[in-house]
Amino acid sequence: MVRLKSRYLLCEVCVSDRSHLLLLDDGTVQNAAKHALIQAHGDYGFAHSIFGFSVKYLNAHTGIVLLRCRKSHYRLIWSALPFITGLKKRGQKVPCFFNCLHVGGTIRTCQKFLVRYNTQQLHRMLPLCHSEEERSAIRKSVLSCTVQKDADADSEEDIGEED
Amino acid sequence: MAVFMDLNISYTTNKKRLQSVIETAAQLGYSTVAINYVVDLQQKKQEIVKPKSVSELFKTFPIVQGKSRPIKVLNRLTVVASEPSHFRPTVDYKAYDLVAVFPQTEKLFHAACMTFDVDIICVAVTERLPFFFKRSPVNGAIERSVFFEISYTHAIRDHTMRRYTIANAINLMEICKGKNVIVSSGAEHPLEMRGPYDISNLGLLFGLSEEDGKAAVSTNCRAVCLHGETRKTALGIIHTIKKDPALTDRVEEDAPASKRAKIEMA
Repeated sequence: MVRLKSRYLLCEVCVSDRSHLLLLDDGTVQNAAKHALIQAHGDYGFAHSIFGFSVKYLNAHTGIVLLRCRKSHYRLIWSALPFITGLKKRGQKVPCFFNCLHVGGTIRTCQKFLVRYNTQQLHRMLPLCHSEEERSAIRKSVLSCTVQKDADADSEEDIGEED
Repeated sequence: MAVFMDLNISYTTNKKRLQSVIETAAQLGYSTVAINYVVDLQQKKQEIVKPKSVSELFKTFPIVQGKSRPIKVLNRLTVVASEPSHFRPTVDYKAYDLVAVFPQTEKLFHAACMTFDVDIICVAVTERLPFFFKRSPVNGAIERSVFFEISYTHAIRDHTMRRYTIANAINLMEICKGKNVIVSSGAEHPLEMRGPYDISNLGLLFGLSEEDGKAAVSTNCRAVCLHGETRKTALGIIHTIKKDPALTDRVEEDAPASKRAKIEMA
């Protein structure tokens, strides 16, 4: 048996005000993506790519979204993502855009990439700290998370919160 | 890793907004951006202004994502030409790093491709093409390594514009076969920027292949920058700069030493 292959698009939701990120949920992201897909490719393109399309993971603190789609049509979905201008949630619209960070074949590779990416972000942000205390506080919080095994997801969240 | 560039960021007098757009570009991974000054000589009282010095904009330039270098900012002039007299290469043009032209008629398009001393030819994205692209001028432009530009911000803002953008882009691709095309943003707000990988994939809609799509945001843009440099210098070989009076003595001392070294080597 050949397994059904998919592609995972690891995206970052960029907003002007980071507090809006907490409004994110699976439904709004999926709706926005579907809406953009219809606008960009019409009913035919929508029908082609909608099978197997889902939001696999969403982190409202860091604004990371993992979208899953079939391998055969992932470029259709990817090319529709730039047309998302905002997410609608309960009548209020949050202007944002999606920035695709990585395209992977499995969730595992995406997770590995995300850990590496977040480490990079941490190195980018550390010099921006105002005082030595702040810096050591962030280091401590990161270290306290990675002590446990299987704590990758936790440490990622922390980086976002300290930002 | 390729170096990504976005050669069209609209100039606004709002300095804060311009800063935040450039910061977003650095965050997304663009290593070079160009601030675009548009001059439409059709309207009265339009003059070519001197570009603001980029060092006024930031004290320290933001660091590019994934690199350790700060972002490079260029100045670019776009001349909207609807009459042949509009494009006159004067001293004013020399102040800019890049010069682009936006031809409105077929004759001017032909002239822009074949004779004008420009780096970029803009393609209309907000309206139906006023003329058809012909093979001979487009081939001439490719031979002279002048690049065609498609900006995508209008496509994101509005869906009728999106149709025009895609239609005009596909029209161009049929003639130039994906060569000598750059895709740039034309963003006024930070939220109108998109990541470089997204844009190279967006090339799929414009009729670019995967390779050409990536070249449109990286290597082709680099070629444009180098072309702009050759206009400033004598064929890109000799570069003249104003000598700093404080440094004169030291430079003169250095010159014979380097000559001697060469002779010894030979």
